[in-house]
Amino acid sequence: MLKQEFLKKWIMGLQICSASKKEMSVLERKKAIKLSADLAMASTRNGSTNWSRALIANASKENDNTTLVDQILGKDSGSMIKKASNPSAFPDERVTTCRGKKMLRNRCCGIRRAKKMAASAGSIAKKLVKKRTQVLKRLVPGGESMDEFSLMEETLDYILSLRAQVDVMRHFANATPPN
Amino acid sequence: MNRALPEMLHCINTPGNVAGSFTEMSVLERQRARIKWQQEQLLNQPSCFFEGNDQFNGYSMPNHAQDFHNLINSEVGLVVKADPGLDNRWQEFGQFGGEGSGLGSSGFVNGSGFELNYGISRTLSCPQEVAVAVTETARRESVSPEKMSSAVGRESFKKRKADRNQSLKAVAEEEPNEKRIKECNEEDESKITEEYSNNSKNTTNNDNNIKRETSADTSKDNSKVSEVQKPDYIHVRARRGQATDSHSLAERVRREKISERMKYLQDLVPGCNKITGKAGMLDEIINYVQSLQRQVEFLSMKLAAVNPSLDFNIDSFFAKEVFPASTSNFAIGVQSEITNPAYLQFNQLQLLASCTGLEMGINTPDMALRRTTSTPLSLPETFLDSSCFDVISAPSIVFRISVNMSGSFFLTKVFSHYSKSKPQQLGMEICKTFTVWSFCKEDQPHFQPSNLQTLDTECSNEAGNLKMEM
Repeated sequence: MLKQEFLKKWIMGLQICSASKKEMSVLERKKAIKLSADLAMASTRNGSTNWSRALIANASKENDNTTLVDQILGKDSGSMIKKASNPSAFPDERVTTCRGKKMLRNRCCGIRRAKKMAASAGSIAKKLVKKRTQVLKRLVPGGESMDEFSLMEETLDYILSLRAQVDVMRHFANATPPN
Repeated sequence: MNRALPEMLHCINTPGNVAGSFTEMSVLERQRARIKWQQEQLLNQPSCFFEGNDQFNGYSMPNHAQDFHNLINSEVGLVVKADPGLDNRWQEFGQFGGEGSGLGSSGFVNGSGFELNYGISRTLSCPQEVAVAVTETARRESVSPEKMSSAVGRESFKKRKADRNQSLKAVAEEEPNEKRIKECNEEDESKITEEYSNNSKNTTNNDNNIKRETSADTSKDNSKVSEVQKPDYIHVRARRGQATDSHSLAERVRREKISERMKYLQDLVPGCNKITGKAGMLDEIINYVQSLQRQVEFLSMKLAAVNPSLDFNIDSFFAKEVFPASTSNFAIGVQSEITNPAYLQFNQLQLLASCTGLEMGINTPDMALRRTTSTPLSLPETFLDSSCFDVISAPSIVFRISVNMSGSFFLTKVFSHYSKSKPQQLGMEICKTFTVWSFCKEDQPHFQPSNLQTLDTECSNEAGNLKMEM
């Protein structure tokens, strides 16, 4: 069901892409294919999830995609579009440097703090979880602005959609003969 | 009148404590107590009417009827105080609860005689409402483990009270629960209902004060807990030593929700079952999402590289999607190739216990199979009964399915990656392929779906060689 819908929308998007541009390089084509696939995947959710809205918003930020977005999503695309911040690499770096400093400091006065090992182990585990949550937030579109619970929900949904997308695309790729 | 009740209670209490059983209580004492109780009733009822006229109109009769029961009840409580293991007394009491004004026997069995006494003193002033409230409190108490512990604490408190009546205050101060009460005592007093305030006027005794405080505290505490728990029906209980304020309860609810989602994710993400710990699970999820995203990238790259233009296969897709019945959009050359008679062979080669591989070679004309395999999803999957192909994917049987047609196109590669991990899916794939394939040949004169059906039955029966002419 999901796959069928996705397939229909994807092909529609591809047709629109091919109609708008005749001559494309491989990279351009790849970009168009991926974009249309992503948009189709997002539009199967009808804007009910955060990640799909964020995906659409990201796609429509680039000027030349707006027509494609509008056409794939139909009339209600305007209401779906939501501002989503671009994922940046800075938070991760900061986290790693922070951790490095902390570890350095720990090493400096490590012996004295032998008693506090248990507490620090717990905090380290917490930090690991936090770091991974950050990474996951960057992976899921629009995840930067989510709290932990909605992030989990969105990740569930996103994985399901991604699976369907990959499945369909794999069929597609396998079906097309090598030239 | 105000001091009558505690005094009466006290006078009942003392012989009970001393004698250890109510049977040894003298008749005189009982009668005296009864007279006092009746006086109490008479004096109490007008005040009750004062408090809530319309409410108590209906209850005035049972109030009279319960007069004697109340007396018995107090004695029962007394007995229990002295000898907690007296079962028939409890039964009697339970009976009273059944026929009386809603004093749930179950709730009181849980509680102590201490609470019982208090319940009676409440019952005197306003039978129905307070009794129900007390029952509710007691029932809630039985639910919440922390409250149970507090009940236990009260019981021990009661025992101590039996030992030394005078040092009650100090004992109460020692109990952490009671300490908390003292802190919010003023607040409690103001918030308690009018019946209760009426009751508090009656009793100025030290014992009764503490009693009331305890029950007030428990009821308040319980109501707070249930307030937190009610909006979302997730059972979060504060265990011993856990915080019970609303913030930490909400935090616990949130954490439980998250862990529930994590469980779902664990089911969804392959290879995540054995990993315990949140960090490892998150790792696995991250890896999976990343791999899926990379796969999308790779596949789109592949598609872009393979297809010189973007409108690849679109016509055939839409031919089947929009007009599934007509195959007129197909290339004529392909159709002419399909018209060649094809032989479908199922060879059950061997039974291997260990091998799960499935080899499949399909020889078809290029275009036909290409088109058909590219549209497995858009076609009805119920054309063939897919369950019969599950036999194929059974681990012990290796089938070779060879579809010999005029062309020479091998699709073994396509299915090779399925045969390793997902035998079930492979079965579905074959099913789909056949569906599509038969779909292409629908307009052939000698195509019969029943042939496929027989093929299926043969297949499921594990018959050796089946040759079918399509």
